[in-house]
Amino acid sequence: MRVKIYASGYCNFEHIDDDGFMTLPEGASVNDVLKRLGIPLLLRRFRFAAVNYNQAKPGTVLKDGDVVSLLSAMSGG
Amino acid sequence: MKGYLGKVLKVDLTTGEIADETIPDSVYENVLSGIGLGAYYLYNNIPAGADPLGPDNILGLTSGMLVGSGSLVTGRWMAVCKSPLTGGWGDANCGGDFAPAIKACGYDAIFFKGISSKPVFLHVDDGGAELRDASHLWGTDAIETEDILRKTCRVKLVPKVITIGPAGEKKSLISGIVNDGGRIAARSGVGAVMGSKLLKAVVLAGKQRTKIHDPAGMKAYSKEVGAKFKQASAPGFIKGSAFPVLGWVLSKVKSVSATDGMMGVMMNKKYGTIAVNTMGLPNGDSPVKNWGGSVKDFPLRKYKKLNPDRILDRKIKSYSCYSCTIACGDTCDISDLGDGKIEHTHKPEYENCCSLGTNLLINDLDAIFLMSESLNRAGMDSISAGTTLAYAFECFENGIITEEDTGGLQLRWGDADAATRLLEMMIAREGIGDLLADGVRVAAQKIGKNSEAYAIHCGGQEPGMHDPKLDPMLGVHFSADPTPGRHTIGAGNYYNMISLWQEVSWAPKVTKYPKSQEYIPSDEEALKSVALACYKMLNDAAGGCFFALIAGLEHWNLFRMFNDTTGWGLSADEYMEIGKRIQTLRQMFGVKHGIEPKEAIMTGRVMGEPPLESGNLKGITLPIQEMVSLHWKHFGWDENTGVPGQESVAELKERALVH
Ligand code: SF4
Repeated sequence: MRVKIYASGYCNFEHIDDDGFMTLPEGASVNDVLKRLGIPLLLRRFRFAAVNYNQAKPGTVLKDGDVVSLLSAMSGG
Repeated sequence: MKGYLGKVLKVDLTTGEIADETIPDSVYENVLSGIGLGAYYLYNNIPAGADPLGPDNILGLTSGMLVGSGSLVTGRWMAVCKSPLTGGWGDANCGGDFAPAIKACGYDAIFFKGISSKPVFLHVDDGGAELRDASHLWGTDAIETEDILRKTCRVKLVPKVITIGPAGEKKSLISGIVNDGGRIAARSGVGAVMGSKLLKAVVLAGKQRTKIHDPAGMKAYSKEVGAKFKQASAPGFIKGSAFPVLGWVLSKVKSVSATDGMMGVMMNKKYGTIAVNTMGLPNGDSPVKNWGGSVKDFPLRKYKKLNPDRILDRKIKSYSCYSCTIACGDTCDISDLGDGKIEHTHKPEYENCCSLGTNLLINDLDAIFLMSESLNRAGMDSISAGTTLAYAFECFENGIITEEDTGGLQLRWGDADAATRLLEMMIAREGIGDLLADGVRVAAQKIGKNSEAYAIHCGGQEPGMHDPKLDPMLGVHFSADPTPGRHTIGAGNYYNMISLWQEVSWAPKVTKYPKSQEYIPSDEEALKSVALACYKMLNDAAGGCFFALIAGLEHWNLFRMFNDTTGWGLSADEYMEIGKRIQTLRQMFGVKHGIEPKEAIMTGRVMGEPPLESGNLKGITLPIQEMVSLHWKHFGWDENTGVPGQESVAELKERALVH
């Protein structure tokens, strides 16, 4: 399945294609995404990923077409 | 049925004449409403060389094409004029509830020219428009004036009011126009223009509704947008104390990719912009010590007092502008502060916390709350006022200003009492405050003694509190926008959030790229900055809010909302041409009035000349001239002078936009 990933600059982009998608096996979870993005184990338990704009747990199971967003910060104001 | 009324109200304050003017459909088709309509009207009606504080200048109050259309987060109005601060195009944007009130009176905009012989306010309802005496209100602060007018002018409806405070009355060139209890259209010196006309306030109480092409389509889209914004909420572990760490992590970023703007909405819903208070120190976003210092001068043990949670501790309730479901604002309790007479205030946003705090090495949040409230009441721009305080502090440090000049006040970095007192003097135009009340450029011209080096401005306007050495595209917009110094036109960070490439054929697609690419002038980076400027013009023509805009096309799509409103069925590319046209008109306005755009290209310490000696941005100097040059080239303007080229001008003439 393909999942859209909005990563942040602190991630490893190796597994994200040019259109911003990651290909994962069926049944993959948020934790699998975080692992591929190079997020250290210790940090993965913090819920800084959202799936389809809802906060997600590391164990949240993904399906084809889901959007996984990682916390990013903006300047501005 | 297309979201606009086709009519503006013209008020001549010298003669007292008030009349409607019909605006041809072709104007809306070419430049939409809001800022586009304003640029069209002002370009053609203000004579070249007009004194910005004289009778020939025109002050416009514009609503927007999408205001009242059933769309969400489209309730912003704009003040437009020839800027007395820069001498070129001036505009300022504000929320609250005034934008729909303009359309409810049957107009897309209201334009004032002339100068009244005594203080007046304009009152408009469904029965008509009239000028009323405001002598009794002259000298009253903006929040009190609004309260009085809401009460005394109420018939059935509570009217919507905008007003100037004492700063505008005293024609401070850094004054703005205030509504909704202290929200302020702060930039460009629009308050001084209103004050110069002896126009104290505008009171609107119309009841007309805006009609659009496809209300059902818009309703369905708003439902979708509303649901997304509703469910966006910041993760529980995000606390104020986490922001310095996040800022530090971001300072290490070596590569960049498209980001999800909805994450920005999540943060905005909880904090507004104040998350940047502490995040902006480790990564260098926040200017420190009049842009000359870094986190080394204002380390964690000091800046942690600006923790946004400490601000939210005072929160009474959330605040939102008309039609907004993000609600980034908060009303805060300050009844225990100062003399205790003021019970509540709008949450001071990041720009205030940085310009009145970090940039002065001040970490006294109570003082920041009170200074912010003073500025709201006076109707003075916090970015410009704070930057002017920083200029004065640095002049004092270097012996250019002495205690003799300040009336005994010692302007020492970090001294909140001194800043508060000097601000009071600026608002009252008292002593040295009179000299500082017109911003840093005027102050440096008057004080001289090589103090220009400490006067941080672009083309006369003090820049927003974000260091372009962290995000170079911000420096391009500081320098190249017709209202220079503006931090809400665009930045690389925003480009990556908005994903314009999804619909705009020529907007470069972002996959992942090294952060270092942003520092090298290139056609690709220039196309991005042009795309953002065009999209921002569309936003300001719509009445949209910048915080919805940066949620990105996927979540808040201006093109879609324009088509539901107008029925024109235009493509994203066609709308972007409209945005480009508006930007060209704004640029041509400045040129008509003698502005040389290249003079506004920012140099000096903001661009890293000389580079910072410490902090995340140490050693960086931006090749800003080349970056701006490429930006102009892709607008079709002369790449050396920034003057719109023959082709752009001919196009505007052909479309009867310039007479
Ligand atoms: S996001 Fe904030 S500034 Fe924008 S419209 Fe909503 S409340 Fe107003």
